[in-house]
Amino acid sequence: MASDFRARSLGHALRYKGNAGMWTWLLHRVTGLGILAFLIIHVIDTAVVVYWPDFYDHTLDIYRSPLFRVAELLIFFAVLYHALNGLRIIIQDFWPIAMLHQRRLAWAVSAITAVAILPVAWIMLAPLFGLRPEPGAERHERRMRERGVVEVTAPAPEGMLLHVEAGPLGGTEGGR
Amino acid sequence: MSTVAEETPERGARRRGGGYERPGTELQKKAKFELYSWVFMRVSGLLLIFMTLYHLVWWNLLVGVEHLSADLVLERWSNPLWRLFNVGLATFALLHGLNGARYSIEDYIRKPGARKAVKAVVYFVVLAALAWGIFALLTYDFASASRR
Repeated sequence: MASDFRARSLGHALRYKGNAGMWTWLLHRVTGLGILAFLIIHVIDTAVVVYWPDFYDHTLDIYRSPLFRVAELLIFFAVLYHALNGLRIIIQDFWPIAMLHQRRLAWAVSAITAVAILPVAWIMLAPLFGLRPEPGAERHERRMRERGVVEVTAPAPEGMLLHVEAGPLGGTEGGR
Repeated sequence: MSTVAEETPERGARRRGGGYERPGTELQKKAKFELYSWVFMRVSGLLLIFMTLYHLVWWNLLVGVEHLSADLVLERWSNPLWRLFNVGLATFALLHGLNGARYSIEDYIRKPGARKAVKAVVYFVVLAALAWGIFALLTYDFASASRR
């Protein structure tokens, strides 16, 4: 019985050879706890936007650091794996015949996660190396244009933004 | 999954002809709770697959963290349906995570006192975060009126 095995140390625990089933279980748990830790911080700091929008903008600057952008990709990976593996568990629970293929399904989950995370990693990290524009750049520009804020980024040196507030829409931002 | 090896198997009184009576109401309640938590994990998990993946794709891949701002979030939340979506997302995700944390705590922390203490801390932190998130979302109109 699995419960007879009692790990007394990390080395001892890793010597337990549970194969794919053990690793998917372990990864499911680790990603789950990791997501929860992030989620607590994420919910607390996002809710701040309602009462202290300026402070929220300040915390966003932290999220934009390269270290956090890599961490965000890790979160994305954790959610993707946890979601797909959870789906596998649900399928196996409600559709017993799937248990016969559980090893194959576990590999399928790993493979789908690995393949799906590649374009996500490219979209999220390539801008850091200047290989690709930031995701959502077009949407952002369109939004700025609609709000009457014109950004001139092309001719100006990097990091210099020229904000021109125009029309009656431009005044709405003055509130805060 | 979580309580495979309880220290003392709880049973009802020994029956004359062998075997045991049905366990007491305390254990029945515990077993019911475990059943409900199992169902909740499946239902919330299934919903969360769609809700979180949509959330991640929208904010990380379509909007981009670089373009995120308080203005943008407040503009989106001006629609009550998006606020409701976020209430649901935070509730399902945090409760799903809290129950997952409970599984882990019950697996690894065997001493009753320590288990109780760790559980109390984790429950408090997660539920406080959830309460704050829901409070902020539900008082959005009040807060935006005072911001103006």
